[in-house]
Amino acid sequence: MKSNGTQSRRGALTVSGVIAVLALALGLAACGGDTVGGGGNGEVTTAKGGPARGKLTISNWPGYIDPGPKGTVAEFEDKTGVSVDYIEDINSNDGFFGKLQPQLEQGESGGRDIFVVADYMAKQMYDLGYLQEIDHADLPTVFKTLLPSLESPGFDPERKFSVPWQGGMTGIWVDTSKAPEIRSVNDLFDPKYKGKVTMLEELRETPALVMLAEGVDPAKASAEQWLDAIDKIKAAADSGQIRKFTGNEYTEDLTAGNIVAAIGWSGDASLIENENAEWRMPTEGCTQWSENMVIPVGASNTAAALAWMNFVYRPEVAVDITEYVEYISPVQGVKELLAKRGSELAQSDIVFPTEKFTAKCTGQNTPPDLERVNEAWQEVLTG
Amino acid sequence: MGLKQRLVPYWLLGPGLLWLVLFFLVPMYFMGELALRSGTLTTGFTFDWAWANFPDSLSGHAEQIVRSFFYAGTATVLALLISYPLAYAIAFRAGRFKLLLLFAVIAPFFTTYLIRTIAWKTILSDSSPVVSVLQTLSLVPPDGRVLATSGAVIAGLTYNFLPFMVLPLYANLERLDLRLIEAAKDLYSSSHTAFLRVTLPLTMPGIVAGVLLTFIPAFGDYINALVLGGTQQAMIGNVIQSLYLTQRDYPEAAALSFLMMALILAIVVVYIRFAGTGAFMGDEEEAT
Amino acid sequence: MAGLSRGWKWLRRNALPIYACLAVAYMLIPIVVIAVFSFGATPKGKLTFGLDHGFTTEYWSSAFSLPDLNEALMTSLRLAALSTAISTAIGTMMALALVRHRFHGRRAANLLIVIPMATPEVVIGASLLSMFIYYSFALGFTTLLIAHVMFSISFVVVVVRSRLIGFDRHLEEAAADLGATPFATFRTVTLPLLAPGILAAALLAFALSIDDFVISNFNSGTTVTFPLYVFGVALRGIPVQVNVLATMLFALIAVAVCLVLWQQRRAERMAAVRPEREAAPIPAPAS
Repeated sequence: MKSNGTQSRRGALTVSGVIAVLALALGLAACGGDTVGGGGNGEVTTAKGGPARGKLTISNWPGYIDPGPKGTVAEFEDKTGVSVDYIEDINSNDGFFGKLQPQLEQGESGGRDIFVVADYMAKQMYDLGYLQEIDHADLPTVFKTLLPSLESPGFDPERKFSVPWQGGMTGIWVDTSKAPEIRSVNDLFDPKYKGKVTMLEELRETPALVMLAEGVDPAKASAEQWLDAIDKIKAAADSGQIRKFTGNEYTEDLTAGNIVAAIGWSGDASLIENENAEWRMPTEGCTQWSENMVIPVGASNTAAALAWMNFVYRPEVAVDITEYVEYISPVQGVKELLAKRGSELAQSDIVFPTEKFTAKCTGQNTPPDLERVNEAWQEVLTG
Repeated sequence: MGLKQRLVPYWLLGPGLLWLVLFFLVPMYFMGELALRSGTLTTGFTFDWAWANFPDSLSGHAEQIVRSFFYAGTATVLALLISYPLAYAIAFRAGRFKLLLLFAVIAPFFTTYLIRTIAWKTILSDSSPVVSVLQTLSLVPPDGRVLATSGAVIAGLTYNFLPFMVLPLYANLERLDLRLIEAAKDLYSSSHTAFLRVTLPLTMPGIVAGVLLTFIPAFGDYINALVLGGTQQAMIGNVIQSLYLTQRDYPEAAALSFLMMALILAIVVVYIRFAGTGAFMGDEEEAT
Repeated sequence: MAGLSRGWKWLRRNALPIYACLAVAYMLIPIVVIAVFSFGATPKGKLTFGLDHGFTTEYWSSAFSLPDLNEALMTSLRLAALSTAISTAIGTMMALALVRHRFHGRRAANLLIVIPMATPEVVIGASLLSMFIYYSFALGFTTLLIAHVMFSISFVVVVVRSRLIGFDRHLEEAAADLGATPFATFRTVTLPLLAPGILAAALLAFALSIDDFVISNFNSGTTVTFPLYVFGVALRGIPVQVNVLATMLFALIAVAVCLVLWQQRRAERMAAVRPEREAAPIPAPAS
């Protein structure tokens, strides 16, 4: 039909017109040859101190603070008059980073004054110029009560931009009623547990633990050694040995009895409804990590942020947090206060690990040739 | 036609088109520009006509694309088989319960995607009675499981996208004039033939709409694979998610997304040719 | 013997409604599970989908005790209501234009509507975010609303369009013949007949909005919607109150729907005697 022919010709003209415009626009952009991102632009600012007032916005992981009207946030609000918007929207370091990156890139804080992210993520953000530096003079309580072992970590030797929140260890959760013999990460590759084992999806945890079990030191391993460990894990995934790579969901699988063992985090006891489940330090050692408070560029209320940091480092406040969260506190004196309260946690190796307990443990290591290793790891995760 | 008459379609389309252009096309342009850059987050992304990003993003991910097609396709077919009789029943046999039933179909959405998928995870967990029943029925091997398998992911997809199939089918079936079927029967056709020759063709637009509305989002889904799948069930949505958020390889993520969109569009075009352009494009005279 | 064949006949005649009930029951299974577990006692108030600790109603009595959860839910409801209203209106207009008129750019318009549905949510979310940042547009409720309307329009158009196709124009022509203006015809003839399609589209748009996670995650700034809240807390344990509120919401809407139905029945009974008609209007005469 003639009208159809005209219509399709007109339609084709419209489409080609649009394409022409787009091509032109792209061409103009190319002439600019512009580069976006790359970070490291502009000088680094230092967070300003001062009297705390106004509104403070904090982003943290869920379940990482004692909640409610008698909780730490409420206490802080009472004592300082600052109103706190405490948002539990961090589920994964990468996810949070991905969400905030465009704004941080432009020097904006995404509406937050403090985030709590893992050590390697804090370093990454700092290297990209997304964080403000912190003057120790503004944080007297923090540097008085901070555990000495945390004063000078590898990723931030002078504590220029990070202040620890809580720490933890990654090891093996075992259902002792079904697989009491599992004590090493190597045991997880035993065919008799096929399909009943899960591992974490963090690059810096699972391959690192596998390397430790093979006698390789993740802190010094070459890219090839990382890739070898990743290959070993991939083979196990393909054969069905490993049921799933998880974030926090392994707690559900343990509760439901779907698995007998999982690589998991030391403080997750409250999430596992299984009396037979127990966290074990692998015989070859664990990985340790800490989450840190950082102040992003463009944060509007740095004075209140600094006041918050000082506040949570008071031992009487820190003990409330740790009692609820059951992870490792960075504050001295917490263990004694808990013992005085008669809490069992005071004796727990998991909440108060000794030097001896964590002797073989390693920190969060970033592999050399990160892109290549990460890509190989992602291939494993996405089957 | 007077000028005013001729302008009517443009007035009607105006707001919608404007919205889509501003909030879909323009961001897409930014994304397309991103696909042609190379670099990393630390070194910055430079615009250098990196066409290689497109084939590069496909390499190694062909498996997930095929898998997504298979999962989404199966889920769509299952959804159609489940939904058609349901939509038919709601349209013609529900009487005053129509609204209630429609609501029941939508109701799951009020509990959020994640919670109901987790609910299914509980129902299908290894030690649940449901799985035991399935094992006795030999639908699942005796020491096998339902979770962390392709079956679980497909079941999840089917369940979560059922409303997308039911609603367009219902909207279309409701228009059906039962007297046409009566007429067919008066002319001595069996119910079977009446269905094939009268009902089915007349409800084609609804079927086409339902299939598209189900298949397309199912293809790009990643939550079902995440919650219900194991290590071998990742779909292309999971890959893009990982590229974007974990690897932060924005150019590759953007390139892969464009390719995925192109693939889906190709499938849609082929499907519409097959099902009849009129049914989809809305030419009333062509819809038979 | 006769009883058996009568039973069989009954089954055949009612196969369809029985199937419908089964299908609907299937749809509701997770809701039942969610409701049941809102009564499960748990030590730390975190959902475990296990009944080992017995039943309790404490989470129901403390259902509104989590201010963040309440706020997230209210935000989601407001967002969904607004998004539904806007996208249904815009989408219906577009469907009318596309089905009823021939004009230049019709194919392009059709294409533009289909493409958003073919785009992965991650891409839509991320690309929108890049654009908002570029233009320094503050992220929050407004950006969420923009995003939600955007992805709902396509669905509304497709659903309403499938209803419009095969729509009987003769009724409208008859109205015109009887002297009605185009607008009056639209209001009294077209719109009521189109209503089920519009309703279905609106329901879908509402469901899409209240359930959206991926796109909202990118464009919400510090605003928290219900799915965002749930996804956030799922990592460390979903508070049982989430189940409680979800069940409450569901129950509330079920009650509202029942009320509407009851009201409808009353209106019908009180109106003049007129036979219930479910069949569609007069078909086109054979030509």
